[in-house]
Amino acid sequence: MTNGSRHALEVQELWKEFKLPHDQRTTFKEYFLHPLKRMTYERNVALAAVTFSVRQGEFLGVIGPNGSGKSTLLKIMAGIYRPTRGDVRANGRLSPFIELGVGFNFELNARDNIRLNGTLLGLSGRELREKFPEIIEFAELERFVDQKLKNYSSGMQVRLAYSIAIQVPFDILLLDEVLAVGDQSFQEKCFATFERMREEGKTLVFVSHDLDAVTQFCDRALLLENGRVQALGPAEDVVAEYAERALAS
Amino acid sequence: MSEVAPILKPPSRSDRYVQLARFVRVFSATEFKLKYGESALGYLWTLAKPLAMFAILYFVFGHVVKIQVGFIDYPIYLLVGIVLWTFFVDATTSTMVSLIVEGSLLRKLRFPRIVIPVSTTMTATLTLLINLVAICVVIALKAIVPHGDWVLLLVLLLELYFVALGVGLILAILYVRFRDMAPIWELTTQLLFYASPIIYPLSILPLWAQRIELLNPVAQLTEDIRRILLYRDSPGAIVTAPDVLGTVGRLYPLGIALALLVGGLLLFRRDEPDLAEMI
Repeated sequence: MTNGSRHALEVQELWKEFKLPHDQRTTFKEYFLHPLKRMTYERNVALAAVTFSVRQGEFLGVIGPNGSGKSTLLKIMAGIYRPTRGDVRANGRLSPFIELGVGFNFELNARDNIRLNGTLLGLSGRELREKFPEIIEFAELERFVDQKLKNYSSGMQVRLAYSIAIQVPFDILLLDEVLAVGDQSFQEKCFATFERMREEGKTLVFVSHDLDAVTQFCDRALLLENGRVQALGPAEDVVAEYAERALAS
Repeated sequence: MSEVAPILKPPSRSDRYVQLARFVRVFSATEFKLKYGESALGYLWTLAKPLAMFAILYFVFGHVVKIQVGFIDYPIYLLVGIVLWTFFVDATTSTMVSLIVEGSLLRKLRFPRIVIPVSTTMTATLTLLINLVAICVVIALKAIVPHGDWVLLLVLLLELYFVALGVGLILAILYVRFRDMAPIWELTTQLLFYASPIIYPLSILPLWAQRIELLNPVAQLTEDIRRILLYRDSPGAIVTAPDVLGTVGRLYPLGIALALLVGGLLLFRRDEPDLAEMI
């Protein structure tokens, strides 16, 4: 099914609690008006004892209703949030981003945005200069290189974002929501890059509401509900279980 | 089939530093370009602010009120004060809000958070450098001859940068928790403008007030820079820290500068892992 048996990611008893203050106090007035009132918090358990592992070369889909903790899980794995308790161990280089097009500025043209976004994602100046033609060609934006991003259609923007992201060296890719982007023909190109990622033994964790995409691309799926793992197994089975639960409730 | 694919080597420490430096450079240059590059007058706007301030203050205090400056170089004295002060206010104010402004980056990307405030201060530094060119032009016109002491100017400008960074970091961390910091800092900088030797020479104040004002590192380094630039033409007119605080006392403003920088860095390091959740 997948290459080898080495784990790319091991998530051990992961807990995340958010403290949500009952009234958000961010101005001094609120402190001065109620100096004696203790701040009261509601503890919101976003993740409860989440444990799973991902084998190297595996594509894992994370599914579940809104607010089930999917994005929080992804952010902790990416090192953006700190877990309250528990541990994430990664074997290999994690991609530093969880969304495409991080830092894009709509007032800048494609050239400047490739430099900006590529730099944020960790590409060096030399790499960016070398890969520039490839990025533009893959995104099919040759004619629009000097246009400001605000004049791009959303499809063009996301094509550019995708084309930069696939240049970043990683072993483990973490992505929130988008996998195949753009129109039919561009999606075909995206599929081809997934195949290459598979062949190279890259690992992918993909959070999505697109159940079809999860069944199509992922080997296994993880169903989260209220921060707990409800199911973990072959993608079709877990998607089917999720659909059943949604119908039942 | 069970062959294990190789994984990438983790980047070396020096590679990471090179990458961070690049991050700061590209990020601050982009910010600078977005701020001025799009307007009709473009980068000239970076000069407009201090020069307009200079023009009005010079007219009022140099001609109408006729401050007892007691020396001939009041225009340069004033210009140096305004340019350095404008940098301090710009750098600290933009750094204060930088974490909130770049919030989406903090929530979607893993990177050392210090890059954001450092980039913002670097953007303000680019403006300062352009303004310093303007000062150099005035100095050349005045036919002031450079001498060896001018090397110290670099050290004093570094002190200014690090004070601004330290204060900016402290403000940025506070601003994440209390949005009141914006009006508080605006008021503070306005008060400090008049409580610093920017428009007036320090010598018109009583000794006790001179001492207090020179505890402010920005006032101390501004006076030091003026002394180095103008001393030959106006000996004794510029009051620096050693003049009123004594040989040990002269270290107080430097100590305060260091404390602001170290305090800012420590405060930032403490909150850094949780910033993505706090903003």
